[in-house]
Amino acid sequence: MTSTPGTAEDRLREALDALATGVTADPDAYRRVRAEWRRRERRRRLVLAILVAVVFALADVLGLWALNRADPGSHIIFDDPAPVEQHRPVERVGQP
Amino acid sequence: MVRSRPDTRPAAPQAPAPELGGIPRLAELAREAALVQLFDQHYTGLLRLAVLLGADDAEDIVSEAFCQLYRRWNRLRDPEAALPYLRSVVCNLVRMRVRHLQVVRKHAERPGAPTESAESAALLREDQRALVAALKGLPARQREALVLRYWLSLRETEIAAAMGISCGAVKSHTARGMAALTRVMEERR
Repeated sequence: MTSTPGTAEDRLREALDALATGVTADPDAYRRVRAEWRRRERRRRLVLAILVAVVFALADVLGLWALNRADPGSHIIFDDPAPVEQHRPVERVGQP
Repeated sequence: MVRSRPDTRPAAPQAPAPELGGIPRLAELAREAALVQLFDQHYTGLLRLAVLLGADDAEDIVSEAFCQLYRRWNRLRDPEAALPYLRSVVCNLVRMRVRHLQVVRKHAERPGAPTESAESAALLREDQRALVAALKGLPARQREALVLRYWLSLRETEIAAAMGISCGAVKSHTARGMAALTRVMEERR
């Protein structure tokens, strides 16, 4: 590179070309790769479906467990104290 | 030298899984059609790139790259970005593979020579063989930069995108790699 920069680069190009020319593709490569990416896609979808099912099942079980252990007398969602109803005489104006 | 693939490959992608609905099915077909075209045009080139970068299992690496592209097809900003993405994945996978092999060889403590196919080596002249051996002795980044620059004739920005580094770093790796190769070749004379 210091003395003859073009020569070194050209020699490298030639060597890389010669090495690359000797590499041949497998005739059945496409089928193999397509089978592999389809297998992975199926597996990904299966794992996703199982994961969603597990999350739903877990949420259901937790909800049922919480409902089951709660006191039937007390409400577990709305726990505000019940308002005391006061009966007041109604003031009406006019004829009864 | 390069055998063309026989017509065992279908011209169009086969029908996808029956559970797919209308729009996902169309998207699936479009993705497979694009991948068929990419595979047809660039599989051999990517295979050669993996070999030149020093991969011992180039076919597995390129297959893995296509599988990753298939999975992330919807995240590509446009179909033109597919080939740079494939190049980048091949570079990364080869680098990881070479590092893994270096660790394995170090622990195995075998004085094993790097694996190189006899068929490929037989095609090279003596000086070319020495040059390729010197190239394989370079650090992975320098080797990648030289192969992408001098074999694929990519621009610096394209090399930077493929390697995931800056243009300045590409210049640096290329210059250092060429200097090292030149030094080795001059010592050999």
